[in-house]
Amino acid sequence: MWLVLCTSRDTSALWASQGLKARGLEPLECVSAEMLAQSQRWEHRIDAQGATIDITLADGRHIRNDAIQGVLNRLVCMPFEPLRLAHPADREYASQELTAFCLSWLYALPLPVINRATPQGLAGQWRHRSEWLGLAACAGLSTPLYRKTSEDASDERDGQGRFVPSDTPVQTVFVVADQVVGATLLPHIRHGCRRLAELSHTALLGIEFAASSVDPWTFAGATPLPDLQLGGEALLDALASALRGQQELQP
Amino acid sequence: MILLCGIPSETPLAMVRAQLDNLDIPYVVFNQRRFAAMTMAFELSAGQVTGRLQVEGRSYRLEEFGGVYTRLMDDQRLPELCDAPADAPQRRACRALHDTLIHWCELAPARVVNRTAAMASNGSKPYQTQLIRAHGFAVPETLITNDPDLVRAFHQQHRRVIYKSISGVRSIVHTLEGEDFERLDRIRWCPTQFQAFVEGTNVRVHTIGTRVFATAIHTQATDYRYAQRQGGEASLHAMELPDELAERCLKLAQALGLAFAGIDLKLTPDKHAYCFEVNPSPAFSYYEAHTGQPIAHAVACYLAGTLG
Repeated sequence: MWLVLCTSRDTSALWASQGLKARGLEPLECVSAEMLAQSQRWEHRIDAQGATIDITLADGRHIRNDAIQGVLNRLVCMPFEPLRLAHPADREYASQELTAFCLSWLYALPLPVINRATPQGLAGQWRHRSEWLGLAACAGLSTPLYRKTSEDASDERDGQGRFVPSDTPVQTVFVVADQVVGATLLPHIRHGCRRLAELSHTALLGIEFAASSVDPWTFAGATPLPDLQLGGEALLDALASALRGQQELQP
Repeated sequence: MILLCGIPSETPLAMVRAQLDNLDIPYVVFNQRRFAAMTMAFELSAGQVTGRLQVEGRSYRLEEFGGVYTRLMDDQRLPELCDAPADAPQRRACRALHDTLIHWCELAPARVVNRTAAMASNGSKPYQTQLIRAHGFAVPETLITNDPDLVRAFHQQHRRVIYKSISGVRSIVHTLEGEDFERLDRIRWCPTQFQAFVEGTNVRVHTIGTRVFATAIHTQATDYRYAQRQGGEASLHAMELPDELAERCLKLAQALGLAFAGIDLKLTPDKHAYCFEVNPSPAFSYYEAHTGQPIAHAVACYLAGTLG
């Protein structure tokens, strides 16, 4: 079985589930974060042989790692309802416990997983844009100047995302394993995109470019959780191939 | 030049600072409690990071810092902010300063002990256990569940079982016993972590760069860090690890991206090395005080690039 994990509002993932089914990835189960949060039973074990999971969903379905062939993981959080009922003094602790638990069982899912859970993001590592910029420069992509000072407002909310104003036209490119999808690129930019995915250890990476006075292909941002619909049929083909284990993925 | 970040009176930071003084290595203290007397800015251009740090009216080029030691406490819990409302300008200014420092540390080509991203694996102990196992260490049999029957069966199988937090919060190890079974039904609300107890000698291994310091801890307590609270005592002694095990510890710390790590092992009577966790910000002073191992000296040398 193939698995798509996402929130119930992730139209991008729901679209991808249909497209993957149409490419023969069957049976494919789309399980939402909300369903997972209401699971009846959790069993996650780690021993000398490795890590296993056995989750019993509220509707009786099981998620067991020995039955999974591949996973498209778009989970960013788990909305555990009982947390609302917890004593305020325990709520933060319980929330940390549940997040730590999610990271572990998601990491235990059998490969291929796109994207594998990391401590900085359940569906791939979220990075501050200064880090993306540093990696993009290392990957050989053209990057804009970036400044940060302690006089700036703290940018916890907008620390991720684009370097350009939201109304600036951008081109989105996707890297899935070693395939680059989404636009016709010059070889050195194509190579830079692959290298960025490699440096960021991200199996599925969305990369945005904007035209600047210096370069028509200036790095404008990257995300492990791109809007998949922008990649169209070519992205679905690449995802299907990677989920069948036909591509070597970034860890 | 070395940058020391945290509260200067905090013991590990103070010990490293004393060693830098002994070695006559210049340093600057980023004293969190004096946040109002500091500003910081950096710039990233074509992958090169440059910038300035102002401390108490003196300005330093960020490129001058070859080593950074961070022992930062949560900046929003600083005593200077205890009376400030959540949206107070001084709170925001303090956060912005720390934000700038932390993001610079992730990019700086300096020896940073340790970078924030590398420290994150410790936030989920079973996740880190999976990484530890992949590096050739034995790991305790672990069950995380919300099903009390599974826990009873696990206890039946292993006889002695401990429970501890999954995250890094409230991380105290307890033995599952007596009254715990009566409240076991409560785990239905939140999956809980249980582990088979492993008999053997606790060993804390500090790795810094290529150096290894091992300390054996003899105790009857379930969690030696809280031995007195758990009705016992702990005695600590420096020890030598077999070369192969020391090498494995270094490789594990390196794989996790940690220049400085506190690795918790248990050596069993049948010579297996179980690894429980890797602490990315070890409070080494407790071990150095009991054994005399020169850990602070090694950290200072590492920061200065002279550890060898």
